[in-house]
Amino acid sequence: MREARVVEIVTELDIVTARKLGRDEAKEIGFNDVDQSRITTAIGELAKNILLYAHAGKIVIEEVEENGLKGIAISSIDKGQGMKDVHKVLEDDYSSTSAGAGLPAVKRLVDLIEIESRVGQGTTIKVVKWLVRV
Amino acid sequence: MEQIRKQYKKILSDYIGNQNESDLYIGQNFIKRMIQKNVTPEEVISIHKQALEEVYDDLPDSVLHGYDFLIEVMVHFGLKVQEHQSLLAKQEELRIEMEIATKIQNLLLENEIPKPRSVDIGMISVPLRKMNGDYVHFMHDDERFLSVAVTDVVGKGVPAALCMSMVKYGLDTLEYANSNPSYVLEVLNRTIEKSIDDSMFVSLCYVRYDLSTNVLTWSSAGHEPSLYYDGESESFYDLESKGLLLGILPEAKYTQQDLDLKNGDFVILMTDGVTDFRNKEEFDSREIIKELALANRHLTAQEMCEVIYSELQKLHDFKLEDDFTVVIIKK
Amino acid sequence: MNVNVQFREDGDLLLGYIEGEIDTYTAPILRDELEMIRITEGLLVELDLSNVNYMDSTGLGVFVAFYKKIVKENASLKLVNLSARLTRLFEITGLSELMEIGKGGATNARI
Repeated sequence: MREARVVEIVTELDIVTARKLGRDEAKEIGFNDVDQSRITTAIGELAKNILLYAHAGKIVIEEVEENGLKGIAISSIDKGQGMKDVHKVLEDDYSSTSAGAGLPAVKRLVDLIEIESRVGQGTTIKVVKWLVRV
Repeated sequence: MEQIRKQYKKILSDYIGNQNESDLYIGQNFIKRMIQKNVTPEEVISIHKQALEEVYDDLPDSVLHGYDFLIEVMVHFGLKVQEHQSLLAKQEELRIEMEIATKIQNLLLENEIPKPRSVDIGMISVPLRKMNGDYVHFMHDDERFLSVAVTDVVGKGVPAALCMSMVKYGLDTLEYANSNPSYVLEVLNRTIEKSIDDSMFVSLCYVRYDLSTNVLTWSSAGHEPSLYYDGESESFYDLESKGLLLGILPEAKYTQQDLDLKNGDFVILMTDGVTDFRNKEEFDSREIIKELALANRHLTAQEMCEVIYSELQKLHDFKLEDDFTVVIIKK
Repeated sequence: MNVNVQFREDGDLLLGYIEGEIDTYTAPILRDELEMIRITEGLLVELDLSNVNYMDSTGLGVFVAFYKKIVKENASLKLVNLSARLTRLFEITGLSELMEIGKGGATNARI
């Protein structure tokens, strides 16, 4: 397994870098074209959220394996102001004003989403998409 | 999924072969099945791309890259579709809750129209949405006095309905039909002022009728003026008052006035939903109501209310824009 | 349908020109606009409603809330150039007894 790739997100250009790395990784793991697009979209949304709400942070992309199942894990880590109501940001009507598709969309694009947030300290979001051959 | 891919490829290659309308029709029906199976827009394009690749082995790379681009942008389209579906489900949840709330409101605000011997009373109250921001409260607890309160809470829907429950209980605790209208308004005003926010208020018209003397005493808090029809002079009078809306100033004072209700007289109480002709400035709504009442004064009070409602509804092309309430007290 | 507010400042006088229809849908826009005003003691806010062609009770609510805020801060509010329809609305509700309503005196005198 390759080691994790890390992209610091400070400007909008970094979003593109993170997307590119994520797409390459997804392709190598064996995801099909549609899933590659979904993974890339999820990375884009996570990175955009970092810029919008925390101004800086990082995206970590890595291959994962569990019970013989391969997948991709993406973590978004920032030291921003954090969120009070974590469950609320996953609801569709929450972020009505945000520019991106937001976390509800990310949740739909992946198989697993974990959010850890502390007000005043920052947020870590980890998502996983499993490679399932149909 | 594999089966869907195969079927799609078959329909597509059939169409490419002979451009038959029937294949297009089959294709449209097929996409309905795909939607049912939650196939997303980006997957449809991916299926299409793959089918084309299989049918033609000489497709130029530029075309395939074009499809990759489309798949990418359609991911967001698919997300929007899913979001829409989830909002529809949520909407259904809210609709059900709303229905329950409406039932509760109807139970809370249920009030029978009193039927005293010497005076005829009619009422109609139709909410614009499910929940009513208008409310009519009757009290007729002894043989002598009968009181009617017509209220309108600012706004519509749920916030208005919640506030209305408070008004109802305020009126209930005042309990006696013989209370002075101005006193009732002053007490209610203090209760409401304490409990609601700065942009909420209630307009209310309170009428007490003395069945033994036929004196009708009225007071109003920022409410649409009632109309009094004097049968003797065959003319209408506005029951004007400058009483402030309830819920704005705790120390607001209200005055009350008397009038003798004689045979052939009637009083029309209403909310602003009755007179508000938003896009029809050329109409003088109060004149229209007077004409309607005059032409139908031979009917019962209830029938008069119903005629006024159905005629105004027609004038508004059946698109009333506010809760609509009319009460008629007729001697 | 929309509502639009433009402000002009002149010392202790703040002139606001409101244009459009104020109903359940546009009232929140107007409320937000009015909330942005920094109210200081002695400030006179004069709102010109000559281009408001419709207002319902929700709109009235916005003005009542704003009026209360103004009074709390020892500032004053004047509504000017109301159409006959709006004047009637303020009269029926008793608000014309509470708030200062008139012609655009200050507007003409100072600008």
